[in-house]
Amino acid sequence: MSAVIEARSVHFHYTPGVPVLTGVTLSLGPGATAIIGQNGAGKSTFVRLLNGLLKPVSGSILVNGADTRSLTVASLARTVGLVFQNPSDQLFKSRVIDEVTFGPLNLGFSREEAEERAREALAQVGLHGVETRNPYDLGLAERKLVTIASVLAMGTSALIFDEPTIAQDYAGVRRLGKIVDELTAAGRTVIVISHDMDFVARHCHRVVVFSRGRVLADGDAASVFSRPDILQQAALEAPQIARLAHALSMDQTPLTPEQFVDLVRRRLSGSS
Amino acid sequence: MRVSLYVSADTWLHRLDPMTKLLMAATGVTLTFILTRTESAAVLLAIFLAALGTGRVLRQAASVFAGVGIVAATFLIVQGLVHPTNATPLIALGPVVLYTEGLLIGLRLALRLYNILSATLILVLATNPADLTEALVRRGAPARLGYVIMSVLQIIPTMVAQSAAITDAQRSRGMETEGSLWTRAKAFLPLMGPLVTSSLIATEERALALEVRGFGSTVRPTFLRAETRPPHAVPVRILCVLTLALGATGRWVLGW
Repeated sequence: MSAVIEARSVHFHYTPGVPVLTGVTLSLGPGATAIIGQNGAGKSTFVRLLNGLLKPVSGSILVNGADTRSLTVASLARTVGLVFQNPSDQLFKSRVIDEVTFGPLNLGFSREEAEERAREALAQVGLHGVETRNPYDLGLAERKLVTIASVLAMGTSALIFDEPTIAQDYAGVRRLGKIVDELTAAGRTVIVISHDMDFVARHCHRVVVFSRGRVLADGDAASVFSRPDILQQAALEAPQIARLAHALSMDQTPLTPEQFVDLVRRRLSGSS
Repeated sequence: MRVSLYVSADTWLHRLDPMTKLLMAATGVTLTFILTRTESAAVLLAIFLAALGTGRVLRQAASVFAGVGIVAATFLIVQGLVHPTNATPLIALGPVVLYTEGLLIGLRLALRLYNILSATLILVLATNPADLTEALVRRGAPARLGYVIMSVLQIIPTMVAQSAAITDAQRSRGMETEGSLWTRAKAFLPLMGPLVTSSLIATEERALALEVRGFGSTVRPTFLRAETRPPHAVPVRILCVLTLALGATGRWVLGW
């Protein structure tokens, strides 16, 4: 179950004369892709175009070959799931279980199937025993997890996470990373918008850098994070471990502490 | 996100100080109740529209007018159908007959509704809520009253923005909100409960945030900005008082 999303020379503005996206061309397929960039670079606007909430001013977005202009958001929701950045923008039911079953029920699953999917999704994000609680009685981190579960339960072939690690503690970030890894392993198309470069480096194989409404760089995580000039242009910083390696003039860019240790060990064993 | 209906611009209306605009709004509302004849109501509405137009907020006012259009239409239809003085049929659609007398009464009520709305919009559309609150508190009004006024001005646009955000999230999870009026109504109605709940929660959190920043302090606060009053504020104030006096004289002495 995979989805291919293509953006072809997409231009978009909210107010005429104030462009937000200027000629974005990208093809997003199975695997985890991170979209990074400073605030106002057009990342959130871009993903809202991918599920049809916004339509391009010019250019086109194709989801599995179909132009989003010809489809409603509700029909695109069968293929593209979107977790909003702010949980308060998404939550509206008075019980967690109702919130998480909302999507599957809209997709036509039976009540039993929807509840089963909801419980699995809640377990996947590490929420237990909260089914009958009001989402607004939960803390911000848990509310964010409820919104993630509510999209996971839909089982879409493409998932977009807008700032998934917001408000999460170390365990929460690890759990979300595991979810991204599992979705990637299952062949899903995963798109992550994040300012958490350590999370991006560890879990996303591809990184797209947005700056002022256009794509500044696009490549595998190691190649993008080894370009301080590009990152500086986009007002970003490489993950700490990559910066440490760069400061030590290492010829490769490690993305995780484990990779760094491995590189150091190899260098040490080579010099001895 | 816009937190009030205020529209920023540089016009004679915007340059007026908040207290003068408050006086204009109060004068307008009072005259609406004093001058009850249809002709007077029509003249008042023309004056209000001129003020809104020259203040470059007529377009924003028009969307509010359209929003209450259904209430005005209800006045016309109900009074036209069932007012006790109805005697002269004007329009007959099968068994349904609209009478001239009732329609005129409905028209008068609709004009008064739009007059109250227009007078209020002169204040709301051309006054920054923060400036209004500060002007009131500066004149000795309790800070709590100022806060209540500001909250009332903020709550509708805030709820509209919140409802749009939640609707986007619903659509992203497969709920059909595009299409017929019934489809849109089905999507919107379930939002009302959570919207009110989240507004109450937000109000409680805001109240706590205010308290921790000394809102309940009994010390007279210092004001950040100096109050300015443009030269044309005095003539506008005098005109308001004269108009009010003229209206009262017309109503009770001249029998307008």
